Amino acid sequence: MRHTLKYIFSIYFVLSACILSAQETGPKKIAPVKPQTETAPVIPANDYEEVRKTAIKPTDTINVVPKINRYGLRVGVDVYKLTRMLYDKDYKGIEFTGDYRLSKKYYAAAEIGNENKTTDDDRLNFTTKGSYVKVGFDYNAYENWLDMENIISVGLRYGFSSFSQQLNDYKIYNSTPYFGEVPEISSGQKYNGLSASWVEVVAGVKAKVFNNVFVGFSLRLNTLVSNKKPDNFDNLYIPGFNRTYDGSFGVGFNYTISYFIPIYKKKIVPVIVPKKPLPKK
Amino acid sequence: MKKLILLIFAIAFTFSSCEKDDICDANTITTPRLVISFYDISNSSVLKDVTNLSIIEENETEAVTFNSSTLINGSTVSIPLKTDADVTKYRFILYFGSTTTPVANEDQIQFNYTRENVYVSRACGYKTEYTLDPANPFILTDGAAADQQWIKYVAVKKSTITNENETHLEIYF
Repeated sequence: MRHTLKYIFSIYFVLSACILSAQETGPKKIAPVKPQTETAPVIPANDYEEVRKTAIKPTDTINVVPKINRYGLRVGVDVYKLTRMLYDKDYKGIEFTGDYRLSKKYYAAAEIGNENKTTDDDRLNFTTKGSYVKVGFDYNAYENWLDMENIISVGLRYGFSSFSQQLNDYKIYNSTPYFGEVPEISSGQKYNGLSASWVEVVAGVKAKVFNNVFVGFSLRLNTLVSNKKPDNFDNLYIPGFNRTYDGSFGVGFNYTISYFIPIYKKKIVPVIVPKKPLPKK
Repeated sequence: MKKLILLIFAIAFTFSSCEKDDICDANTITTPRLVISFYDISNSSVLKDVTNLSIIEENETEAVTFNSSTLINGSTVSIPLKTDADVTKYRFILYFGSTTTPVANEDQIQFNYTRENVYVSRACGYKTEYTLDPANPFILTDGAAADQQWIKYVAVKKSTITNENETHLEIYF
């Protein structure tokens, strides 16, 4: 598990560097190209003078290409959880993601999921089943060129999970192995009605690959807020939170494919702010 | 911003490789042993050292190792109890292996108890805690050879065995 985690992290570490640099160089090359015809409001250069004549406020007519910001709902699915089901027989899980653009930079974001995972540790084997929901927001820190819609975001989530644990078998730790190692003991004890809540700091990337389809991934650092533990056992795995450690710390990530459903558009024509009001103050 | 994201990745990467809870820490209280203290029968408040005491479970051939020795010379010893049975019977052989005076003398004590498996941690799993049977905590008998019992009196000091910091059983000889 540890090595798998390490491996995954290093892959994403490398991937993140690639995506970041890809997005950095991309816009510089694309920049001089005019936006595509689908965004009608772009004013051709030839008509520019005319437009200025008809404009009501002469101060608005600075040579700026208007930017179309599309607002809407993006829904997606965590591909990592889906693919993990193919190769890990002890894991079943699905997570749907969604975000709704609130303003230019802010997105309301949520994840909802269900997991069924059997953890086989050296001394314990247990099955965790449960559902979770995470709600919060993302802040897009990436300044898009023209009609690009990529996202490099940081955000916060509040997560809540309701689940059950079943202890399948366990071993007794005996520091004086006089009687030899006692074989593991079957239990089957089920602990129902458990819950936990936590706060996540999310760093994520979403890139538009074509039309309204986005791929993205996010990395999450979690801190438990509440944790209702079973008697004589512990929540070693919490759906949505993942593995727990000695403290309240946790990590998570997802790899999503999502579809953007546009609802309305906002044209951004930057208004030149008159500098007069400032000296008055 | 990019630096921040890289930093978060770097932190997560670091955390992923230092899971402290992988190994059961030696200081963790796990399955306790039964702690026995030896007292002088003629002066019951004074600890008395045993000489070359060997403690062997009835079905085992090796003696219990205490302080890296199977021969106990001292006034206290800790012995494990079975985690998968409610009875453990030990042979207490004083002057082990001696054929001259004082000659080896074997007594047997059977411990009766109840067990409870208590969760410790991911790395340690569970531990067993014992409670000596209140009605019949032990049965003291002479060994196979009908010599005099060297153990004169046994007393339960503490019937719940949850750690090794206290004496659970007192043996007077």
